[in-house]
Amino acid sequence: MNKVGIVGIGTTQFKARWIDKTYYELAYDAAKLALEDAGIGKKDVGGVVYGIYNEFFERQFMPDVYIHNYIGMGGKPSVRVATGGATGGAAVFVAWSWIAAGLYDTVMVLGVEKATDNYNYTVGHPTPETLKAILFSGDMTFENPMGLTAAASYALPLIAHINKYGTPTERQMAMVSVKNHKNAMNNPIAQSPKLLTVDDVLNSKMITYPFKFYDNCLYSEGASAIILASEDKAKALTDNPAWISGVGLSLDKAFAGERDDMTIFTSSQYAGRDAYAMAGIKHPRTELDFAELHDAFTGAEILSYEAFNLCGPGGGGALIEDGVVEMTGDLPVSPSGGLIGCGHAVGATGVMQTGEAALQVQGRADKRQVKNARVGLVQSIGGPATAWTAAMIIERIDTVKAKPAAQKKARRPGTRRT
Amino acid sequence: MIQNKEQWLEEASRKIKVPKELIARAFHEELEGNPAIDAPLEVPDIMDITYKYTYGGISRFFRELRDNQQLYGTKCTTCGTVWLPPRINCNECYAPTTWVKLGDTARIVTYTIVYYATSVFYGKTPYVCAFVKVDGADTLIMQNVFLKDVRQAKVGMKLKIQFKENRNGDMGDFWFVPAQEAL
Repeated sequence: MNKVGIVGIGTTQFKARWIDKTYYELAYDAAKLALEDAGIGKKDVGGVVYGIYNEFFERQFMPDVYIHNYIGMGGKPSVRVATGGATGGAAVFVAWSWIAAGLYDTVMVLGVEKATDNYNYTVGHPTPETLKAILFSGDMTFENPMGLTAAASYALPLIAHINKYGTPTERQMAMVSVKNHKNAMNNPIAQSPKLLTVDDVLNSKMITYPFKFYDNCLYSEGASAIILASEDKAKALTDNPAWISGVGLSLDKAFAGERDDMTIFTSSQYAGRDAYAMAGIKHPRTELDFAELHDAFTGAEILSYEAFNLCGPGGGGALIEDGVVEMTGDLPVSPSGGLIGCGHAVGATGVMQTGEAALQVQGRADKRQVKNARVGLVQSIGGPATAWTAAMIIERIDTVKAKPAAQKKARRPGTRRT
Repeated sequence: MIQNKEQWLEEASRKIKVPKELIARAFHEELEGNPAIDAPLEVPDIMDITYKYTYGGISRFFRELRDNQQLYGTKCTTCGTVWLPPRINCNECYAPTTWVKLGDTARIVTYTIVYYATSVFYGKTPYVCAFVKVDGADTLIMQNVFLKDVRQAKVGMKLKIQFKENRNGDMGDFWFVPAQEAL
């Protein structure tokens, strides 16, 4: 397998509505930013993988074909990935495989979503209609008629987990919300930068038990593009590429009622296991410097700590309480602000997170830079009851060259970086 | 500028099946204001498809619900797993299944309470969505649980099935209530 580097990153503002742009105009903006960042032109791109989730959002089936045309890639290889909330991450996975297989030297991953062009005229707001559009992803015969929402889909495994372990508590979940809104203060593209208190979160209105308003991410519009390159190409383009050293992809049983254990994000466990194995990571809790996790809901971030083996089953709540996952802790989670702080422009989200991880290991993350960030984890979740996960390990070049896993920092779990 | 506002509203209302007043409210700026020629222009639209959908091999499940107020699962002829939702084959054994009558009692394995719903369910909140284990089935099915107070929902809560009076042959034909209440 060929090594795969990230050589260009471009993300538009994530915001509630891009009223002055269509989905292909937004896609164009991200593509242009990523090409400029890589220092290449569109003629240098071997192919494009599109991450676009929902036809009803875009008001268009096969939206990728019109973007491909709009951004001037006509004639080049292209495929669209649609894996629910994991769309962006899975698109990165597919583009990675094209380069790993030696098919192309340079591949663009382009994620975009216009989530709030749909509109509920009775309420005078997009969200109920956005939720309706999403619910077409629930099994139309057995689950769609039950009035499930995306939040409910996450709450079901979470309540099972709380029932078994007593955690996460509502306070621990609120702390994740405070952290991610706060991290977003350092991210110029973020939709929801906010200084909140735990009480602000606890006192916000109930949306889907146990998630209150500030436990939820917001729907965003935006686009994000990254340019992946083969080893030779990456080294020719930059002396400081980020490397995708591990990938994993899992699709668990979408009829979650068939699962053996409702309390684990099994798809994240499997995707993480595979990504860790490929990257040679044995002790993620000490070997990872940061993670960009799929915090669509606060409780999901906490269950993800457990699925990715950053702690034992039921131990996720303690990681936020002990400050480990704060920017000041030794394993900051979602320095970008994550989905809660930066936003969730579905198809663009996983691409944005991968780009953020690359900026971190390249030392280009400005005010949200994690000190000495060398190895990071990216998680992209989608589908009913977190059925899908794409996971990526993003590393700085010197760690890939030498792989000195054993000599890496030996911080004790629970200690803080000073 | 929209030339004939009344006609525009009538056509929009017919097209997207929304009352004229609500469309007028949403497009107030376009109808009454004076937007610049290059200001973003929004239009009312809808995506709409009608179906005559077949339930295929699990048609009997919905006929039993609709015509006989009876819940059926399917049992794998090889491993014996009882499936609910039913399926006509087993995804472990790749063997056929046979229909089995299920009990009318169940319990909550996990649940959530929806306070903010999709457009379709907007006026029906709060309501409980749960994965329930029906007695006689090995898998869980998602269903609504109706409670006097939604906050009574609990993992392990014992339930009894209830059928709708006028059934249509879909998952809305039944739901669950607490076992004591149904007695």
